[in-house]
Amino acid sequence: MAGMSLSVQSVWACSILAQLFGLTLLLLRRNASKIPFFTAYIVLNLCQAGFMLVLGLIPTLSHATYARLSWLAEAITLLAQAVATTEILGLTLRPYPGIWGLAWRALVAVSSLVVLILVWVTHARGIGQLWFQLNRGYHLTFATAVIACLALVRYYSIRVPSAFKMILAGFCLNSCVEVLVNTLIQVLFHKGYAVYQAAWEIVTMISFVATLTIWIVALWKPFPVDDREIASRSDSTYRRLSPEINERLREINEKLLRLWKMEARPE
Amino acid sequence: MTYAFTALFGFAFLLLILLAWVLRPPKRVSRLDTAEGLTEFSDRTHVTFFPQIKQALAVQDSAYLSSRGRNALANRVRKERRKIALAYLACLRNDFQMLWRLGRVISSMSPQVGTAQEFRRLQLGLAFSLRYEMIRIKLLFGFAPLTDLGALSEVVSRLSIRMETAMQDLGERAAFAAKQASSLDGRGLDVS
Repeated sequence: MAGMSLSVQSVWACSILAQLFGLTLLLLRRNASKIPFFTAYIVLNLCQAGFMLVLGLIPTLSHATYARLSWLAEAITLLAQAVATTEILGLTLRPYPGIWGLAWRALVAVSSLVVLILVWVTHARGIGQLWFQLNRGYHLTFATAVIACLALVRYYSIRVPSAFKMILAGFCLNSCVEVLVNTLIQVLFHKGYAVYQAAWEIVTMISFVATLTIWIVALWKPFPVDDREIASRSDSTYRRLSPEINERLREINEKLLRLWKMEARPE
Repeated sequence: MTYAFTALFGFAFLLLILLAWVLRPPKRVSRLDTAEGLTEFSDRTHVTFFPQIKQALAVQDSAYLSSRGRNALANRVRKERRKIALAYLACLRNDFQMLWRLGRVISSMSPQVGTAQEFRRLQLGLAFSLRYEMIRIKLLFGFAPLTDLGALSEVVSRLSIRMETAMQDLGERAAFAAKQASSLDGRGLDVS
């Protein structure tokens, strides 16, 4: 912490204040009980900041140990982020169990694909790079999965409460900026991670403060009543109609194809 | 290594664009996307206008005009009728899209959704869009047999009739779901 420049320290203080404000809003508006994992994520972030502060005050701590403990704390908050996001997605799709079932399968497929691609294209040299690349890989996978889920929600015209939409957008924005910054700075500076550490810290912190601002706007009001229609209890309609609709759509397509080939004949 | 970085950077940038795209507000709420709109589907199909279109596309008129030596007029009539065919094709596309959306509504209301069925419908939608554009181009250049549009219309017509019963069924289910939702006050994300 002592090694941080004044500008980084200022942004860091802003992020702490924003997190405290967000947590206060969660408690005051009684939203904390509705999204407990998201609340836990904010608390964990604050704990992480406190932990880093304590680590920085220990003079005998070696740089390697400091880095290892910092990344460990980061890994815990990233895990909490994934759980909080799943909670928000689950609440969004709660009235649509069928779509949720489809969504989580899509998430697993998309995430696996991204992880495979990342393993293929990245090669770490040393533990420092490895942490960075794991962090970037996580954010890339996370953002892809959430965007895939939001695309599915949009495809099925599912109404998402704006507060949830903003929270998810904040998570995604933060992850995308993390990936962009990690990659760009790594390309621009080949001399070593220590050279661009300050730049990396300030940009990622600013991104996080922006994300917190979005969340504060989302949490400003209590969450609205969830008046969305629930799915029917029986899936017999779907099982009966869906294949029929697909069959009819296929027929229209075939007719179009025959027309294209100028082979259409009156029936 | 640089290629990998460029790819990662590009991918992250693409994700930001996609994020903006998925979060943008919908242009309009289709009435078909609401439970009330389901029952209106059968009244809104354009296939019912087929007899008029068929008459407009009859080749006898054009042949008669040509035989009377009025080629200029015959060409003009053909062009105008081609425009009508194009408009009718667009209407058929609307019917297809309404049906496609109906499939999505049914899926969203179902407690279980089949991945294969959903993927198949997505595939059909993409294929339809592609073919529709190809036929439209053919019609624009006067290559496609206009009378064969009838075959298309018949398919949509039969479909709309068969779906009518389903609409009624869905309307009843939607009403049931609305009752269930209203009875959920005090549970979930309610605000005191």
